Amino acid sequence: MNNDDRSSRPLSASRRLFLQRTSLLTGMIALGGGSYLYNPKGVWAAAPIKVGIATDLTGAISWGGIPNSQVAKMVIDQINKGGGLLGRPLQMILEDTATNEQLAVTKVRKLVTQDKVDVVFGGITSSMRNAIKDTIVNRGKTLYIYPQLYEGKECTPYLFCTGPTPAQQCDTLIPWLIKNGGKKFYLPSADYVWPHTLNAYARKAIVKNGGEVIGEEYFPVDHNEYSATVNKIMSSGVNVVFNTTIPPGVAAFFKQLYEAGFLKNGGRLSCVYYDENAITITPPHEVEGLASCLDYFRAINDPFGNQLQAEYGKLFGNTSYNAGSGSTGMYRGIKLWEAAVKEAKSVNREPVAAALDHAKISDGPGGGCEMVPGTRHVKMNMYTAVSKGGKYEIVEKSKGPVMPGECA
Amino acid sequence: MTIIPFLFDVLAYSAIFVLVVLGLGVIASMMGIFNFAHGEFVLLGAYTVYLFIDNGLPVWAGMVAAPLAVGAVGLALERVAIRRFYATPIVAMLGTYAIGLALRETVRSLLGGQFYSVTAPLIGSFSIGEISVSRWRTAVILITVAVMVGCYLLLTRTRFGLQVRAALENPALARASGISTSRVYAATFAFGAALAGLAGGLMVPIYAMSADMGVPFLIKSFLAVMLGGMGSFEGAIAGAALVGATSAALPWAIKPVVADVVVFIIAIAIVKVRPEGLLSKWRN
Repeated sequence: MNNDDRSSRPLSASRRLFLQRTSLLTGMIALGGGSYLYNPKGVWAAAPIKVGIATDLTGAISWGGIPNSQVAKMVIDQINKGGGLLGRPLQMILEDTATNEQLAVTKVRKLVTQDKVDVVFGGITSSMRNAIKDTIVNRGKTLYIYPQLYEGKECTPYLFCTGPTPAQQCDTLIPWLIKNGGKKFYLPSADYVWPHTLNAYARKAIVKNGGEVIGEEYFPVDHNEYSATVNKIMSSGVNVVFNTTIPPGVAAFFKQLYEAGFLKNGGRLSCVYYDENAITITPPHEVEGLASCLDYFRAINDPFGNQLQAEYGKLFGNTSYNAGSGSTGMYRGIKLWEAAVKEAKSVNREPVAAALDHAKISDGPGGGCEMVPGTRHVKMNMYTAVSKGGKYEIVEKSKGPVMPGECA
Repeated sequence: MTIIPFLFDVLAYSAIFVLVVLGLGVIASMMGIFNFAHGEFVLLGAYTVYLFIDNGLPVWAGMVAAPLAVGAVGLALERVAIRRFYATPIVAMLGTYAIGLALRETVRSLLGGQFYSVTAPLIGSFSIGEISVSRWRTAVILITVAVMVGCYLLLTRTRFGLQVRAALENPALARASGISTSRVYAATFAFGAALAGLAGGLMVPIYAMSADMGVPFLIKSFLAVMLGGMGSFEGAIAGAALVGATSAALPWAIKPVVADVVVFIIAIAIVKVRPEGLLSKWRN
């Protein structure tokens, strides 16, 4: 449009256009994308307790964020059906952090300053947790509960971690792998914090149990061509591939490894985030015998877990309830927090954090669990399972709850 | 004895890369449009195959349907949106990026954000001596060669190819000679999209069905087109082969994380030496 056009246009029209566009823009900014408010059903006399959920409903990490938010919705509805907490209903405010750390900071700031939530649950990746924790815990003076299995070393006050740590995933699995696979390990990994830190722990556990690490290799996170590594694994007589490469590239890696004959030659695969959902990434024959160690598998086949599965399946048919997506940590987190609020008879941060420090629940996915006082981490039962024809079979259960080994 | 798996893997990865870049190269070199939705066209091809399997239909039928379905989507998008961008290449980049984002997030929500495996029509591997060679990767190499030759013949030996080149070279004269450039552009874009769909359909058994499947290829594909030089179809293929081969070969010698960067450094160095494109001397 040139200047003549602009000057010939009636002023009122352009002003109207300006107003329309500005109001649209301010509306968009004010509402933001991906905010959802779930009000408790029924009539309640007391004001609701506000529970903030910040997770990745869109973007690359939505495989974890979607089920995570659905578990939260299910548990919060259950609590409301049972009469709420301290006679008050729970209101869930869900924010889509969209696998984008910068956006997420804005979203959690809204939760703590505008909505004034009483607690925040969420984050799947460690980079997300690191991005949002300061806004929630320090500037927002709010309690934060992180549900996903992770690399450990998160010892920020008022931040409680309810997923498994490297100690919990490696202490029973590594000795089992050495006994049922062999002594020579290879550690192919994605190049970010979780694999680096987990491998450091795994390496110690491998050496301690009489094994050796033949190679430890890092790939860009979106890597999808592994022929060089597959060749190194095949030519160096590796017994166990302890994998921390991530989807979607992991599918190409397992396929190349299978096609090179690793499994046929008696090699053992292992991947600690591979749950009953992740196993669909690869055709069953390509991951036959893969060993994983998690806090819950459907294969445990216990009454509590089966009921949880049935209920979740009825509500959300599009995803399933699994450990790897932080679904178990989310369940545990909300129930432990509920127990702490009941004990503290308050939702204020100090008394709840003090009660949460030793909170315990008698039932949960994989069994009951409890906070280890002073560490803000949970001790829980761990299960080693092996993939057979695309389904897991439990091969070992930990002798009682396993200590998280963090922040002690 | 590592030389055979090395050569095979370099060849296999280059083939996949060429397959992905073919469609992008057709659209970029023939129309001057940098299609940032290309990765999502690849994704749609993969999704078509996934839908076929999910509904109990054979996987190869999905692979035949993928280019047709994505070609149709490409045609519709060209008629609705892309044709408005021809005069403004920068807007075209942003516009196609937005289209790509919308497509990707739609597929993601249809998949519930999850990953699914797709079984190849040919499973497993065959042995040459002690070396196992993947059947499906071998098939992909052969199909790529066939598609490459087919595209080349189509663009250089047929009436349609002549019209496409004429519409690119001199749109005004092409129109004066009775060629509907608007239709030619639409057909070219649909053809490029169909090639992307084919690539996605053939690739999905090697990778896994996921919404981000096209993303890792996009930037390196543009690198390949840039290497080959704009306006040259053969150049784009040569660029793709080079980027694919270096991406697969370098991790045999150096750390994969470093290799990823070195691929770009090599490419930038080549662009500096040969700004007109890899095959510029050969063409002149």
